[in-house]
Amino acid sequence: MSPSPRPELVADGYSPKRPRWAQLATSADHKDVGRILICGALGFAFIALVELVLMRIQLLVPENTFLSPVGFNRMLSLYGATAIFLFALPLVIGISYYVTPLQIGARGTALPRLGQIGLTLWAAGATALYATFLFTPSEAGVNPLAPLTEKAFLSNNGVDAWVTSSGLATLGFVFLAINLIATLKTMRAPGMAWRRVPVFGWATAVGSWLMVVIGPVLLAALTMLMIDRHYDGIFFADGSGGAPLLWQHLSWIFYTGAYMLILIFAFGTIAEIATAFARKPLFNRTVVMASLAAIAVIGTLAWMQNMLTAPIGIGWMYFAMLMSLALIVPFGLVFFNLIATLAGGTLRMRAPLLFALGALFAISVGLASELCHSLVASAWHLKNTVDSTAATHFTLIGGAVFGGFAALHYWFPKMTGRTMGELMARISFWTIMAGLLLGFVPLFFAGTEQGQVIDAYKYFAGTGVTAYNVIASIGVFVLFVGILLTIVNAMLSREGGPEAGHDPWGGETLEWFALSPPEPHNFDVLPDVRSPRPLRDIRVAIGHRTRRSEQATARDSQPVA
Amino acid sequence: MASHSPGTDQIDTLFWIGFFAAAILIVVVVGALLYVVRRYRSERGAEPRQLLSGRRLQFRVAGVLTVFAALLFILGIVFTDNAREKPNTGEAGLASLKGEPLKIEATGQQWLWRYDYPNGAFSYYKLVVPVDTAVELELVSTDVVHTWNVEELARKADAVPGKTNKVLFSADEEGTYLGDSATLSGQAYAAMRTAVEVVSPDEYEEFVETQKEEIQAAQEKVVSQIENGETP
Repeated sequence: MSPSPRPELVADGYSPKRPRWAQLATSADHKDVGRILICGALGFAFIALVELVLMRIQLLVPENTFLSPVGFNRMLSLYGATAIFLFALPLVIGISYYVTPLQIGARGTALPRLGQIGLTLWAAGATALYATFLFTPSEAGVNPLAPLTEKAFLSNNGVDAWVTSSGLATLGFVFLAINLIATLKTMRAPGMAWRRVPVFGWATAVGSWLMVVIGPVLLAALTMLMIDRHYDGIFFADGSGGAPLLWQHLSWIFYTGAYMLILIFAFGTIAEIATAFARKPLFNRTVVMASLAAIAVIGTLAWMQNMLTAPIGIGWMYFAMLMSLALIVPFGLVFFNLIATLAGGTLRMRAPLLFALGALFAISVGLASELCHSLVASAWHLKNTVDSTAATHFTLIGGAVFGGFAALHYWFPKMTGRTMGELMARISFWTIMAGLLLGFVPLFFAGTEQGQVIDAYKYFAGTGVTAYNVIASIGVFVLFVGILLTIVNAMLSREGGPEAGHDPWGGETLEWFALSPPEPHNFDVLPDVRSPRPLRDIRVAIGHRTRRSEQATARDSQPVA
Repeated sequence: MASHSPGTDQIDTLFWIGFFAAAILIVVVVGALLYVVRRYRSERGAEPRQLLSGRRLQFRVAGVLTVFAALLFILGIVFTDNAREKPNTGEAGLASLKGEPLKIEATGQQWLWRYDYPNGAFSYYKLVVPVDTAVELELVSTDVVHTWNVEELARKADAVPGKTNKVLFSADEEGTYLGDSATLSGQAYAAMRTAVEVVSPDEYEEFVETQKEEIQAAQEKVVSQIENGETP
């Protein structure tokens, strides 16, 4: 006997069991996880900027006493951890986590609970970092170098909290990355071979593999540090066979890899935006995809570029220089192909493209400045000066702020069904650009001309750096306002932005085939993927059919002589 | 940065090479971006030509970039090797060294630098060296990582606990050169400064002798106080 068909259940008008926030917090849907990461990252961007502004107030005038030395070091440590672990990485991973499954035509992710655990670990890490305000934040710096972090030198539990928070966040990123890799490997739409995966999806794959490699390296280093601090370990302690330089190697592998990951994400985003807004295919997809993979590998192998003043052999220094300079080739090819994609197109200067162009500008300045840090003897002059602060901020603001905001403006309609306010986006863009130039160009001069050192809570009058620091402080205030405008714009546009429809930019990849915002299962139906531009294929096919039908109609309506 | 030692000349030159290479890259990228935005900005229009690049063009671009990177790599090695060359002691320098550099140990400790001279004398904060004399500074640390940084005389170098790092220089002019530490080493890091006083060989000899005598006198005073029961 065949079972009787299930009656259609009508659920409209029934309120869900749990409130929306509880549903969101316990959801394993990649879109919910991605949105929480993105919102969290934007919130922490605000906090990181407040910390940066406080530090710049301290550095506004020579020998200022606005912050105490310990207070400055704590602010610096919090800023570093917040900017990297709570803003830049979660923003790029969050956007990737939201968009990539949609882009490849997946109805979810392969290991949704793993992703949810990843988010929970990241949130626990963030809580651990800021819970230190209840006792003692770390005061060991952005990349706290052993043995300063040993218990003998910093005995309070600030370092423990830093280790815990960055460890939990990194473990969370690794889990999210594993899920993304599994999803990309197993859940691509029919016909979507790797050669047809969108460039952003490819960037996600490369970045996720990179995180799976570098994340455990940092986790191992953090574990060793905890053993040193609490179980009389000697991994990084001098004497009894300990090696302080080991920390530098392990931590720089992670930080250098994370730096590359952010850039790979930014280039993936810019590639999508460039093709959509120029209405042209990527000039050479294969070369861009190969270059992104090369950046991941060669870039991470250049970790010792950060250790050129340490007592390591000259051979290793030359190896670091070789790897750093070798990056010119893949970076150059990516820039060439992105700009060539824009050339010849019909560029619609909307906010996503504006931010993407800003990203290309800032990244190019940052990476070119890093070039001077790659030449060994030149690095002996520039290392640990504020010139390196400026170069790093140019690159990372280019990648995470301009690149991240380009992605946010581009995919915001997909997430909410509305576009972000265009006027406010433009004001925000130019304010951020002004803030970046004012805030960090003077530091290039202070570093190269006067050798002002990094991470110092004060500088002295008569050292020739006062004017540079005044301008830099003003620039950071402007930067703060600019970034805040985008955050406010996102908050206001979520409910009140202009309605966008499902495909406001004429995108060519599958996420624009879904509703905006997408249903929980992403797609009801999927087209066969026959090229890297499936939506364009559909448009072209419809265009042909319409033309044929019009021609047929015209033929049929011809008067017979 | 004014250069007062042969090695820093090379560092300075390589920095400027890197600077101009970076400037070329920035100008090319920003120029191309500005051109493309001005030339192809358009609100609407027919779908543009769907241009794709062939392999040959990509290989050419990759080739140009490879040559650029290789050239910088070679220049980097040449100038770095020159900067690492042992300076010689000149005629105006300390004659008693007989071709060997003057070896001084520099110990970084939270938050000052201690300098130990060959005759057993030592000084804090201020390093005194003879002019036109090859000096080999052996950097060590007793606690955390510090970076010795006197830009006009020598390269930056880290003092890492358990390791010895070497810095070579030969000051060409008498005077005082200021420096600071360049790695966060705790709360008084910003105040961890140093000064290198470059003097004539005679003044140097006099300084280390006087310093040694004063230290010995101070030590003898402490010993006598202990013997007399004046110090617990």
